[in-house]
Amino acid sequence: MLGYLRIEVARSLRDPRYLALAVVAPIGFYLLFAGLFGQGQSVSGLSTKVALMVSMGVYGAMWAVLSATGPRIAQERSVGWLRQLRLLPVRSDAVLVARLLAAMILAGPTIVLVFITAALTHGVTLDAWKWVALLGLLWIGVAPIAVLGIAIGYATNAEAAFGILYGIYMAISALGGLWMPLTMLPSSFQTLGKLLPSYRAADLGWRLVSGHSFNFANVLVLLAWGVVFSLAALYFAGRVARTR
Amino acid sequence: MAPAVAQHRRLSADIAVSLNGLVKNFGAFCAVDHLSLNIRRGETVALLGPNGAGKTTTLSMLLGLLAPDSGSASVLGMPPATAVRSGRLGAMLQEGRLMPGARVGELLDFVLGLHTPAAMSRKQLVTTAGLVGLERRTVDGLSGGQTQRLRFALSIASDPEILALDEPTAAMDVEARHAFWASMREYAASGRTILFATHYLEEAEMFASRVVIISHGRIVADGTVPELKRSIGYRTLRFQAAEAKTEALAGLPGVTQVTVEHEQITLKTTDADATVRALIASGVAWSEMDVQSATMDDVFMTLVGANTDKH
Repeated sequence: MLGYLRIEVARSLRDPRYLALAVVAPIGFYLLFAGLFGQGQSVSGLSTKVALMVSMGVYGAMWAVLSATGPRIAQERSVGWLRQLRLLPVRSDAVLVARLLAAMILAGPTIVLVFITAALTHGVTLDAWKWVALLGLLWIGVAPIAVLGIAIGYATNAEAAFGILYGIYMAISALGGLWMPLTMLPSSFQTLGKLLPSYRAADLGWRLVSGHSFNFANVLVLLAWGVVFSLAALYFAGRVARTR
Repeated sequence: MAPAVAQHRRLSADIAVSLNGLVKNFGAFCAVDHLSLNIRRGETVALLGPNGAGKTTTLSMLLGLLAPDSGSASVLGMPPATAVRSGRLGAMLQEGRLMPGARVGELLDFVLGLHTPAAMSRKQLVTTAGLVGLERRTVDGLSGGQTQRLRFALSIASDPEILALDEPTAAMDVEARHAFWASMREYAASGRTILFATHYLEEAEMFASRVVIISHGRIVADGTVPELKRSIGYRTLRFQAAEAKTEALAGLPGVTQVTVEHEQITLKTTDADATVRALIASGVAWSEMDVQSATMDDVFMTLVGANTDKH
């Protein structure tokens, strides 16, 4: 399955659209927003330029894992590659695991590149262990999103998949406080936003760099989303299998 | 009791593919109509039939891609999906794009890596499948014939005992087709079992040791090419003659059909020997006589045509 993993990672890195959306976009947005608002402090006492680095890290990583799962599964279903896989001595759950691993692998470099941008252009500095821990937390934090990608890939058809995924992605990024701090949104939005996995993943990072204590609620909410998305993925994948 | 059981076991050991009473309907359309077929190890079987005859549907059930409405398919004594997963049954389909964005070499590495140890080296696979020079190309940049060769490579990568091919040369030009069958001959020579669906008569005739003709979801003929030709019951007699009279020719013993094209006469006869003797005795000035058994075209048209008339 290493061969499959290699292909999944390589074809993302070779895809200009992937590089634009998962790498260039978060870096670009960081430079833009940090340039505009970077001098201030956000409410929780965290400097904006660092808070933004965390948000954009999550933003980029989410697209990395979504694009490596959802649109691909939907497309491969419709062009017949999934059928071809059923003619090979490979188990479908092994393919799924390879896809998830590839998606997660792709998330890492995206986050690192945002970190490097923040460090080089806005002089963001952290203790060495904090850089590593932050990378780890954000990286793991987007894992439920990868499962969401799989669920949508089986739920939609090829033409709709990209649009639907991108729409969901934008919504949970904005509503999760990745663009603007949640505190700046109306209170009903704040309640909604705190439920979202995007917020919870970023909050893991925000709390680490601002020195706040670790909040287990973040982990629990993310796990809950992971379970919900997994059940959805099982349901939709099963539905696809039954219609054969 | 014991001898029958022993014989059954011996037969089962010989049988590579067993299709029993397969039925598949798509709505009101019956694609496969109680089809039963046993293929022995080492046979090369052509599944010959016009488009829409049910070849692809039958193959899909044989490969475990489609569940039959009734009946069963087993390969090497196990369910098709198990045979595929064990790498003993390989298949090449007609349609379906391959993994978009992947490179040819990467795909080959992937399939070879599914078996430890790999059944063959990448170089061997590339050569056998005719993909030399294409390894760095992405799948999307391949022509139709090249994509077919890549599908072929995927099907043989696990070195399967049984290979099922659905119209393998459909997208290929004449040269590519010849090259493909040359590789297949080598591949088949080592005792592997091959089943291929085709609507090209020449392909069936040239490459298969056994031809199964399918029409409207049923088997209408099953045998070696000489057997099938003989079963049609007539042979074709051709000669040149300047002033032949159609009625006189039709009166020759055994003649069932007379075709006259300028000076070229074609007779269909159920008893070629008698016709020839009568023709010589008749004093007609003939030349360039040629006697042929029925062509596969004749076999096909007769059997498929007859089946079509019934519907």
